[in-house]
Amino acid sequence: MKMKKRIALLLALTMVAGMTGCGAASTETTTTDSSGTEEAAEASGETMYIPLLAKGFQHQYWQTVYAGAKDAAEKYGVELYFDGPPSETDIDAQVNMFKQELAKNPVAMGLAALSPESLYEVLDECAEKNIPVVCFDAGVPDDPSGAVVATASTDNEAAASIAAEKFGECEKLVEKMKNATPENPVVIGVIPQDAVSATQIGRGKGFVDKMKEIASQYGTVTVTGHEVWKDEADNASIIIDVEVPATTEAVSVQTVANSLLSTKGLAAVFLCNEGAVTGFLAAVSDGEDLAEGGKYAELVVAGFDAGAAQKNAVRQGWFLGSVSQNPYMIGYDAVEMCVKAAKGETVSDIDTGAVWYDASNMDDPEIAQLVYD
Amino acid sequence: MQPVILRMEGIEKYFPGVHALDHAQLEVREGEVLALVGENGAGKSTLMKILTGVYTKDEGSIELFGEPIDIQSPHDAQKRGISIVHQELNLMPDLTVAENIYIGRENVRGFFLNQREQNQAAEELLQSLHLNIQPRTVVKYLTVAKQQMVEIAKALSFPNTKILVLDEPTAALTDGEIEELFTFIRRLKANGVSVIYISHRMDELKQITDRITVMRDGQFVKSVNTEEVTIDEVVQLMVGRVIYEEPKMQSNVDPGAEVVLEAEHLNSADVKDVSFQLRKGEILGFAGLMGAGRTETARLICGADKRESGVIRIRGKEVRINCPRDSVRAGIGYLSEDRKRYGLCLGLSVEDNMVLPSLERLSTSLFVNDRKLTEVSKEYAAKVRTKTASVKTAVRNLSGGNQQKVVVSKWLLRNCDILIFDEPTRGIDVGGKNEIYKLMNELADEGKSIIMISSELPELLRMSDRIIVMCEGRITGELDIAEANQEEVMRYATKRR
Amino acid sequence: MKKLSGDKIDMNKLLAPAALIILYIFFSAFGNNFFSADTFKNILEASYYIGFMAFGVTFIIITGGIDLSLGTVMMCSALLGAYTFKQGCPLILSVLLTILVGVFFGLLNGLLIAKLKLPPFIATLGTQMVSQGMGSIITKVQSQTWPTATDLTGGWFKRTFIRANLFGINGFPVGALWLLGAFVIATLILHKTKFGRYTYAMGSNEEATRLSGINVDNWKMGIYILSGLFIGMAGLMYAAAYTTITPGTGNGQEMNGITGVVIGGTSMSGGSGTMVGTLIGVFIMSVLKTGLSSCGLQAPWQTFFTGVVVILAVLMDIQRTKAANRAKK
Repeated sequence: MKMKKRIALLLALTMVAGMTGCGAASTETTTTDSSGTEEAAEASGETMYIPLLAKGFQHQYWQTVYAGAKDAAEKYGVELYFDGPPSETDIDAQVNMFKQELAKNPVAMGLAALSPESLYEVLDECAEKNIPVVCFDAGVPDDPSGAVVATASTDNEAAASIAAEKFGECEKLVEKMKNATPENPVVIGVIPQDAVSATQIGRGKGFVDKMKEIASQYGTVTVTGHEVWKDEADNASIIIDVEVPATTEAVSVQTVANSLLSTKGLAAVFLCNEGAVTGFLAAVSDGEDLAEGGKYAELVVAGFDAGAAQKNAVRQGWFLGSVSQNPYMIGYDAVEMCVKAAKGETVSDIDTGAVWYDASNMDDPEIAQLVYD
Repeated sequence: MQPVILRMEGIEKYFPGVHALDHAQLEVREGEVLALVGENGAGKSTLMKILTGVYTKDEGSIELFGEPIDIQSPHDAQKRGISIVHQELNLMPDLTVAENIYIGRENVRGFFLNQREQNQAAEELLQSLHLNIQPRTVVKYLTVAKQQMVEIAKALSFPNTKILVLDEPTAALTDGEIEELFTFIRRLKANGVSVIYISHRMDELKQITDRITVMRDGQFVKSVNTEEVTIDEVVQLMVGRVIYEEPKMQSNVDPGAEVVLEAEHLNSADVKDVSFQLRKGEILGFAGLMGAGRTETARLICGADKRESGVIRIRGKEVRINCPRDSVRAGIGYLSEDRKRYGLCLGLSVEDNMVLPSLERLSTSLFVNDRKLTEVSKEYAAKVRTKTASVKTAVRNLSGGNQQKVVVSKWLLRNCDILIFDEPTRGIDVGGKNEIYKLMNELADEGKSIIMISSELPELLRMSDRIIVMCEGRITGELDIAEANQEEVMRYATKRR
Repeated sequence: MKKLSGDKIDMNKLLAPAALIILYIFFSAFGNNFFSADTFKNILEASYYIGFMAFGVTFIIITGGIDLSLGTVMMCSALLGAYTFKQGCPLILSVLLTILVGVFFGLLNGLLIAKLKLPPFIATLGTQMVSQGMGSIITKVQSQTWPTATDLTGGWFKRTFIRANLFGINGFPVGALWLLGAFVIATLILHKTKFGRYTYAMGSNEEATRLSGINVDNWKMGIYILSGLFIGMAGLMYAAAYTTITPGTGNGQEMNGITGVVIGGTSMSGGSGTMVGTLIGVFIMSVLKTGLSSCGLQAPWQTFFTGVVVILAVLMDIQRTKAANRAKK
């Protein structure tokens, strides 16, 4: 008799689970029917279901992508599902999500792949089922299946090179590079959040290459640190040191930042994304050590992406400035391209662009809209 | 005659599938020690749990000082002056005596403990009970007997405790300690406290109790004045059938019988130069006070502990015993004094427990032969008359006596012909005890050799062919059964250096 | 009374499978395209590596131990396998190495726990970090990739372990056969061999088992090594399903395995549990996760509800133990 009670309880709980599920689902999906644009309604006859799978949720970057995607979904009358794995290293979670969304037979899918290779087979299935895939934020290079129709992303190498150029224009740093000798070298640190994702590798490469080109005017340049970017030279007076944290957790980034900060001759640091910035700021007392009179006041720092903490560091002048992609547009374009692809229109890759922002320009309207909180 | 202060009548209690108490009744008089006896499962514990508020009764009435009462919870019982000291001590070993006594009722000043006052109160309490125990002592450093008394003091620390239930208080005590406890109980009695005394040790009843109430199968059988009955009569009331193996008057073993086990100069931290011989078909008793080194000697022989020096011979051949595996292979089976801890896997079935040491022998192929295992375990369960629904029943559901039989058959199944019974009847009720005695005699008749360690002298004198007495790790005497008696054994057992 | 308790045990045995079926029916009714071959395949494929981990750790949990290093050891073995492959090692050797890494860490855990008497929690917490660090150090913190199905060299890897065109079915889930095979072997070992009996005995009462003349230390070592073998296999299944292995991950994966075991009714205090329970536990988790996602619930909700199920499962386990104890009185 007791057993029956228990089964009943379990059932009830499952029901509750299901009910909460429906409730939550309706809050997370943005549905617009006939009130949306007429073409969309005409074209599909019913609401289009489009899932967008991001790399994660934890950075404000993805929230801005989501905001852009939501606006586009509103416009085209799309039922949007936006999800991502709990952490940016959870490849398995993303693969499972992708498979599960595919099982729902959507009209098109948006994907920011954590690991392209892991998704090859699933992309094959997309191709078989004729479901177009639009990549956003990061592409799937050499997609063998042909399911990926286009990519909406930032050209990461080009974007990161902006920061190197700005370092080249910074007199304080140029002076130091000029005076550097092999015995007393100048160190320029780079922190990518990982050495795994194409985005981080590209940004690191874009920055390192450009920086090397600029710094070569002042002395021999060597690139040390992580395997991926390593390019060592003897007797160098300028060292570009690329350090990768053990995990993507903020704590690991902080550990790496601390060891970098204790390096003799450190003159500048480039941080490859919001995660790297967060960890770095933690290592410099939330940025106060970089302020006038602080421990690292002399240090030249540039970041990538935005977010409240980074924006504050830029506004306070602790950072020379930061590079920002246009996450809002990435999300918006992704949905727009999905809709087009679903209707059978041809779509092509879009560079969603990047800008440099610093204390002087970050409040300009056209910059401010790119720089999310 | 003293007035009746507690009267329980017509108590009924049902558990799923069991009629645990069937019209049970109990009367307690002021300032008496009342023994409550019965076999395991007779309903003593259930009745006491109802009295102390652990269970609620299904039917019946309880009157305390002539007033009907309804006991809701243990706390409620304590408030009405009824306390219990359980068989297993419920003290926190790492807390002090005072902290244990007042646990849950700490003397606090605002947010903080008022240690000083609490210790003082404990000291007064202990002094009033003539107990020489310091309230600041950490409990684990006290002897078991002292811990027992702390438990009793705790029970008495509730204001106006009138009825105190002691559940097998002597189970873990040595003879000296028991005497100490009895003196204490007599003092309580003089102060007007009534004691309900539960014990399996029949010889104690004569010493300490005034009346005896016997229960059987959840029913009240009879209340008698202790002076007017013999122990055998009480036992008959309890089991309702004839009991006990005949005591041995002389050794059944031919002095020339083969020596199966010979220990020479065994030494370890607790064992000093112990040598003895065990003959085929012999029951060799080991007597001594607690801590005399008997269990420690047994553990050396069965490889549970490492010995520092000494030789063990089996049938004249020296054997190397460094771990339990060696001794099992040599045919020695050890039945620990603490079955639940060292003897059985309680959660596993009778069969699993029985075949455990023999798996190597019984299953030589890749997979175990389930059918064969069940067959042999059924055979051996029947052989030692284990009462169990099936060999697949979990051992924890068996009574103490039947659990002991599972351990016995485990070793028989392994072909062990030397069996060490360490306190074989501890925690086993009267009927079960006799079953074990009978089994041991049968085994000895079959040619098995048995070492029997016991703290109950009467059972040693009843069973052994020969008794070795130990004190402080040494053998202080050896007695043939024909010449052994309690006084003689005790003389050797206390023969300190 | 004896009979009564007998019936109860049978009911308990049916509870977990019943829960699994109810969940499946429930989501089929309310989920978006849940009741489909695709989704079924997804559920299977998400369960392979968790299943292997859970089989391995079932043995350990039945002995009353715990293994916190499962997840990172699995990742480490998959990582080193992929690394050697990338360095030009023949794929078959890399596959073997993957399993060997699992066995190695099993051996290490066994040594620490059985021989050096470290508490399992501490020992495996240590190996958790050691294995994670080792993977990162050897691969220089770079993610490693196993061959994909279309690769010319080593395309067989995925066809062998995850899906292939078999029995005339396109994309037949081969992994399910491996899982089934592992399940059968694990069940036979646990329920039909001496090794299995000793596993239960040690978990129920280690000292009594030792005094029964059984070399507890050696058998315990064996259990950790066997578990390591399963974990190495889990590494392979993970690699086959997800291709790319990231260094520094695997923390938290052990909980997937352990949760499956616990939902399956194995008691954390040791001495009881079944392999079939573990299998069902693993599938309850994957059905739950996939099902919630088909209802449009995002990852955090899936974690949330898995937690609820774990608590319910353990609560029921406690009820069961209580019932068993009551039967004794």
